[in-house]
Amino acid sequence: MRQDRTGQGGSAWPWLAPALMMLGVFYLVPVLDVLRLAFTDATLLRGSSGATLRTITETWSDERLPLILRNTGVYVAGAVAGLTLTGLGVALLLVRAERRGLWLAGPLRVIVLTAWIVPGVANGILWQMILSEAPFGALNSALGMAGVAPVRWLSDPQMAMVSVLIATLWQGTAFAMIVLYAARARIDPTLYEAAEMDGAGPVMRFLHITLPQMRAALVVNAILLTIQTLNGFDIIIALTGGGPGQATEVLSLNIYNRVFVSFDLAGGAALALLLLVVAMVLTLLWLRSLRRDAA
Amino acid sequence: MTPRHCATGPRAARSLTAVAALACAFAAGSAAAQDDLITRDRVGPADAPNAMTFRLTAYDLYSSDPATRAAYEALFTDFILANPGWRIDTEIATDAIGQEQARMLEQALAGRGPDCAMIDSSTLGLFKSQGVLAPMTDHFTSEQVADLFPYVRDAVTDENGELLAWWWFTGLMVLYRDTRLVPDAPETWDELKTAALATVEAGREGFLFNGGRWEGTAFDWLPSFWALGGELVDAEGRPIFGEGENRDKFVAAVEYYADLVASGASPARVTSIVNYDEFNAAAAAGTSALFIGGDWQIGQLRNTLAPEDAAAWAVSEIPGPTADARATGTGGWTIAALSDDPEKVRMCAAMIQAVYNGPSNEVSRLLPTTNALFELDVFDAPEFDLYRQALANGVARPGVPVYPEISNQIQIMLGDVLSGAVPVEEAVDRAFAASLEAYERL
Repeated sequence: MRQDRTGQGGSAWPWLAPALMMLGVFYLVPVLDVLRLAFTDATLLRGSSGATLRTITETWSDERLPLILRNTGVYVAGAVAGLTLTGLGVALLLVRAERRGLWLAGPLRVIVLTAWIVPGVANGILWQMILSEAPFGALNSALGMAGVAPVRWLSDPQMAMVSVLIATLWQGTAFAMIVLYAARARIDPTLYEAAEMDGAGPVMRFLHITLPQMRAALVVNAILLTIQTLNGFDIIIALTGGGPGQATEVLSLNIYNRVFVSFDLAGGAALALLLLVVAMVLTLLWLRSLRRDAA
Repeated sequence: MTPRHCATGPRAARSLTAVAALACAFAAGSAAAQDDLITRDRVGPADAPNAMTFRLTAYDLYSSDPATRAAYEALFTDFILANPGWRIDTEIATDAIGQEQARMLEQALAGRGPDCAMIDSSTLGLFKSQGVLAPMTDHFTSEQVADLFPYVRDAVTDENGELLAWWWFTGLMVLYRDTRLVPDAPETWDELKTAALATVEAGREGFLFNGGRWEGTAFDWLPSFWALGGELVDAEGRPIFGEGENRDKFVAAVEYYADLVASGASPARVTSIVNYDEFNAAAAAGTSALFIGGDWQIGQLRNTLAPEDAAAWAVSEIPGPTADARATGTGGWTIAALSDDPEKVRMCAAMIQAVYNGPSNEVSRLLPTTNALFELDVFDAPEFDLYRQALANGVARPGVPVYPEISNQIQIMLGDVLSGAVPVEEAVDRAFAASLEAYERL
């Protein structure tokens, strides 16, 4: 029998078993079931008639899939980049405001966190009202008062994606801010003091101290945001439903539609598998960039 | 809950106060008991030995309108008091009709569905084809079934004449117009376009309709296709709208909508409209003078607008390619039993008879599906004569498993075409190919 760190005999398995069982039942089994379904022709209306590769080949070669993947790429890249920038901006602003004892720090944190608490569907509906293109739409009316022509926020295919990103940034900034604020707060202040003594300005300090010191947090943040935005479609379904046409239909929403509108359980599973692969590849790329920097 | 008139006055004699207090306590107790009979997830006593689960929409018993809710609470209270020993466990369905119904079907197939449920008329065929509905023939008279409108009777019965659901209200799409700007009802597509352009010149938005990603988009547009004599599916339920003459009609109907947007008769924002409430809001804001809406919206406009503005709004049949080629989409909700337990099926049917078949139409002014119920006093108004007449041109969406996918493809197609992203014929062919693929898969 192996010895544990305290030198007492005993196996680690009884201690690990509950966690492994939880992971197995709630995570591994569903993933394996998706894998199984992807190699069948099951629909929501009937079971599978046997194993087949046809579902994978047909679903992955669907002529509309490139558009869905392009939408997904634009949405994920825009959301990750945008959320990182806004989260970092708010985090730095908060740190600075706190260091200077400004009262604004508290309300700012509350406002950003409030947006995060709002459920995605409610957020989508809220932005649908703000971005309404009706003559009485909130944002267009405000722009009109400033002499700006009405913007086709939701009916123009390109602008609809911009609108989806705006709603996503408004809600998700808090998450990025929390991660990056924690990382920024942990940077040793003496580094800044030394840099200042050496005559480094704010930009130099940001580029040569803040960013390198926060690199690990930025990568972790990017991984989490990538996974979140790849899987999430609650804002999109409430704001545009994926339209106009399929202009804002991302992969996760397409999977949902395949299963619950087209009743194509196997096709949905095949695309879920693709989503899993995409998420894993992107995560590995982020981690690789972290390791390369560390090396 | 304490009734408001039960406060005791300081000058009251002690004995009278005691009597009043007792009376108030009794009244309050009764009120509390009454309240307790209907909760957010139950109708009837919590400890009733028999329970039936009932999945319903949030528009009647749990309506946000206090008057509607109160009327339904009274109906349900009477019903449950007349059925001692029973309770109804209520489950509220979400607004995402398609997905909600798909999930319920999946639950029913797995034997975990509700005992009784509201089923959207457009998905009833799907439930019928899957054999999850329990016949309720014994609980309705043959006269009641015979009095149903033909398209309703066909939809709720199977090939053996078994009654599988009760279609308790129907709805149809009509053209709403502000008679101050459009005095005469447009009867043809050309007349509608001319009238819409005139309203645009008058500073309004033009003709509004649903064009976003939801069922209402297909439902608003399909009458244009049906008015041309087009058919979505054949007798076997196979999509045929992209073949032969049907394709020509389909293309013509899409081109008609595309022209409305291209000419400015309709605003480009229609591709973002996914709710009939948008039209009520536009009417209330005075920005719209023409829209396609449901029959139920006339009541909403009367409740929302100032009396003189509400009086200016009128309804008429949806214009057709010619004045004598007209069609309208009919919808509405059915209630069906999904239980193997005969007692629960009986209870479901009894609830339909006592609450929904008639009393509910009267309370909500929702269009009944039988001629007899149309004779109720609440339907004695000019617009109901029009609705009854228009129902003669009513077309129900095909009750086939592939319909949800056809609808989805129509929504995508219209969004693509109206936003200028894809040419009409290409969009039509794509929609047809995807629908056919779904049919073969299902």
